[in-house]
Amino acid sequence: MVKFLKPNKAVIVLQGRYAGRKAVIIKSFDEGTRDRPYGQCLVAGIKKYPSKVIKKDSAKKTAKKSRVKCFIKLVNYQHLMPTRYTLDVDLKDVVSVDALQSKEKKVAAAKETKARFEERFKTGKNRWFFTKLRF
Amino acid sequence: MVAAKKTKKTHESINSRLALVMKSGRYTLGYKTVLKSLRNSKGKLVIIANNCPPLRKSEIEYYAMLAKVGVHHYNGNNVDLGTACGKYFRVCCLSIMDPGDSDIIKSMPGDH
Repeated sequence: MVKFLKPNKAVIVLQGRYAGRKAVIIKSFDEGTRDRPYGQCLVAGIKKYPSKVIKKDSAKKTAKKSRVKCFIKLVNYQHLMPTRYTLDVDLKDVVSVDALQSKEKKVAAAKETKARFEERFKTGKNRWFFTKLRF
Repeated sequence: MVAAKKTKKTHESINSRLALVMKSGRYTLGYKTVLKSLRNSKGKLVIIANNCPPLRKSEIEYYAMLAKVGVHHYNGNNVDLGTACGKYFRVCCLSIMDPGDSDIIKSMPGDH
C-alpha cells in the first residue's frame, strides 16, 4: 500500500537493449502521458559499469577504470524490477523529459549524469549500484 | 492431530472470507494484474497458491515487501484457489484491493 516507484529508487531494467542494467528513477509518471498512456518513469542508468580497481593500479589506470557510461530512458513500469536500494543523486535539474527530445540535449544530459555517477562511485558509497548484476 | 484440525478450520474461514470478497469487494486475479496493483499501491492483500513457481512467488513477495502489503500463502494449489474464488479456471495469485464486507485483511496478516 506504499508507493515505491518514487524518485531515487534503484531499479533494474528488464527488457530492451539495457536489460540487466541498474538504473535510478528520476521522475515517475504514474498515469502516463498522452502519447504513452501507461505507467512509466524516466530513469538514468549505467550503460557500462566501472571496472574493478586494485591497489596496484596507477592513478592514470584508476581514472580510466572508474569511468561510467550512462543512459537516460523512459521505461514502462512493467519493464523494471524495483529493488530495496536507493541512490540519492540529484539529477532532477539535469535530466528531464525534454532532454530526450533532441540528440544534443540527450548527449549533454548523459554527460552530466556521467560526471555525477563517477563522483559518487569514487566516494565508495552505493557500491551495490555500481557493481554489475551477474546472471 | 490438534494442529491438523485447527488448520482445517482456519482454511474454511479463509475460503468463506474469500467468497465474501468475491461477492462484495474488488480484487484482481493473475500475476500481471497483481504486480500492477502492487505498483500503483491499490492492493491491500496478496494471496498466492502453494504450487506457484518459486521465482514468481519470491518476486511477488519482494514487491509486497516494498509496498508493505501482506502476503498470504494459500493452503492449496491454483486449482483450489480458483475454486475458492468461485471461478472455473486456475488462479495462481490474486490481489484484494477492496475487501467489501469481509474482514479478510484485518484477520489475515496476523495469521499468514
